[in-house]
Amino acid sequence: MPPVTCSDIHPFMKSTRLFFILIALVAGIGLGLAYGWVIDPVEFFDLTPDTLRADYKTDYVLMVAEAYRTEEDPGLAARRLAIFGSQSPSAIAADSLAFARANSFADSDIALIQELVTALQAWSGIQ
Amino acid sequence: MKRIPWGVLLTLLAGFALGLVYAWTINPLQVYDSEPVALRADFKDDYRSAIAASYAATGNLPRALARLSLLGNSTSTSTETLNSQAQRLIAAGEFAEADQLAALALALENGTVPESLPSPISTLKNNPPLQASAAATFPPTPEDIPFQFTETPQATDTELAATQPVTDNPTPRPTRTLIPTVGAPFALVSQDPICDTNLPDGLLQVLVFSSSRRQVAGARIIITWDNGEEQFFTGLKPELGNGYADYSMSPDLIYTVRLAAGSDIASGLAAPTCQTPAGESFQGGIKLTFQQP
Repeated sequence: MPPVTCSDIHPFMKSTRLFFILIALVAGIGLGLAYGWVIDPVEFFDLTPDTLRADYKTDYVLMVAEAYRTEEDPGLAARRLAIFGSQSPSAIAADSLAFARANSFADSDIALIQELVTALQAWSGIQ
Repeated sequence: MKRIPWGVLLTLLAGFALGLVYAWTINPLQVYDSEPVALRADFKDDYRSAIAASYAATGNLPRALARLSLLGNSTSTSTETLNSQAQRLIAAGEFAEADQLAALALALENGTVPESLPSPISTLKNNPPLQASAAATFPPTPEDIPFQFTETPQATDTELAATQPVTDNPTPRPTRTLIPTVGAPFALVSQDPICDTNLPDGLLQVLVFSSSRRQVAGARIIITWDNGEEQFFTGLKPELGNGYADYSMSPDLIYTVRLAAGSDIASGLAAPTCQTPAGESFQGGIKLTFQQP
């Protein structure tokens, strides 16, 4: 009996094999993505403050507002807020004020941030 | 016997590798909603300075502690980090900021860790709203008023894996707690003439200790004489101790020394005349030691 050659394989067998290879490729990519994005995602460090979660940003703004209450130096407060990047200091403080209001911060804390926002808006106008 | 489908397995592995390359390199997860502990070192310094400025304004130690813990330090390492940052700022001429950091470090050493710690960081994972419940306390402490904390047990090294408390309930009302009060200045516990030929002539050495006998960095020292005044700081020579500072006295002047944070006044200070074993005279120095009671 003559040996079986490739040319003897039925076309249906070929397409089935190709189908399984494609399935394996897709499954492999899916597994790789799941591993790289969910199971063991890239860990970041040495981050910049603009990546901070909104509540941490707001707490930072609250710190600046607490200090501003005593120091009454809007320029210094603006410099402290400048770590968040390209937004204007008053806009940064205003965002935090909105977050604080939306998340039921203490009235005294909201008042402090409001005071800072007002001061920075006035200060921005002078600059 | 069934053949192992090597082709399919190899393709699966190749796909897995492609997926990993895409997920880790080409399009990694975007960074947002990070925590302060992941900040770059210089931004952590900024964060710490803001905490110190806030503490200087409110005197709210529990809130400062909770915020410092966000940077991944325990109470003891926070103190060291604050002192170290204060020294760097002094060297850079940023005295006001350094004072605030040193004051917070001192308060950490003398203050108490709250019994009920705020919620741990992990509880913030699902973005619950941050509720700052620690008390806002006013008025601020004037720069030159010394800090005194009544009832000051030793600070513990309890790990503060905690952040601002998170709750869905309304925030508790502010209460007045731990306001730095006037009083209990640093005491001048010793004033000794030093006759040591190995030291420069007329060297005034000052050592500043906290109540827990730890050296205090960044303490501002004011030295005055007829028609003159200068200031210098502890911690600029860390190899001699964080609480060490020195000053070169002129032989013909009488000095008065005190700490800006409030202390006993060491007055009538003049470089003593000493003699070497061979009988030669030289200008000795003085060593002052201040300690918070």
